Amino acid sequence: MSRVNDVGGQTGFGSVVPEENEPVFHADWEARVYALNTALVRRGAYTLDEFRDAIERMPPQAYLAASYYERWLHAIEELTAGPSGGKDD
Amino acid sequence: MTEPAAEAAAQAAAARFAPGDRVRTRALDPDRHTRLPRYARGCTGRIVAVTGTWPLADDVARRRAEPDVEPRVEPVYTVAFAARELWGEGDHEVTLDLWQSYLEPHGKAAS
Repeated sequence: MSRVNDVGGQTGFGSVVPEENEPVFHADWEARVYALNTALVRRGAYTLDEFRDAIERMPPQAYLAASYYERWLHAIEELTAGPSGGKDD
Repeated sequence: MTEPAAEAAAQAAAARFAPGDRVRTRALDPDRHTRLPRYARGCTGRIVAVTGTWPLADDVARRRAEPDVEPRVEPVYTVAFAARELWGEGDHEVTLDLWQSYLEPHGKAAS
């Protein structure tokens, strides 16, 4: 029943290959997503644990197809959508 | 305000384990957020250090769904595992920071 994010030690994903001279962000929108999440957590819109939980609740197919910051954006949308915080969507 | 010494004493009193103690991680597989990775469940390790007390992430992650539930605050330990215990191979150690409720006693303290 473990969620799709919990792949530590699981075979089939290949090795972790560090990118040489990797930039902090690969696109401007990634920096905006990072800043948006930081601001929302610091202002108490949600906690970091709720944020991680929202990422882990992504459907496995969507999670595996998404890039790192696409997952962040998904979680921000999930946690901020509508007056109910997305709970009733 | 709590005096630092009193706070440290309260934390020590709340800590169920001490450095050197043998522990086993619980073999739980919750269908929700947890900070105990799957590869480290049901494994035996050794307490290396007590790193302080922190709100249990599993509980904090559920606050929207259950706003009346106050997250448990527990000691967090640095726990060392033999790589062989986790992966079946390797001669190195892996350390994880784990909340107290993830752990249960396992035999006698290592000398």
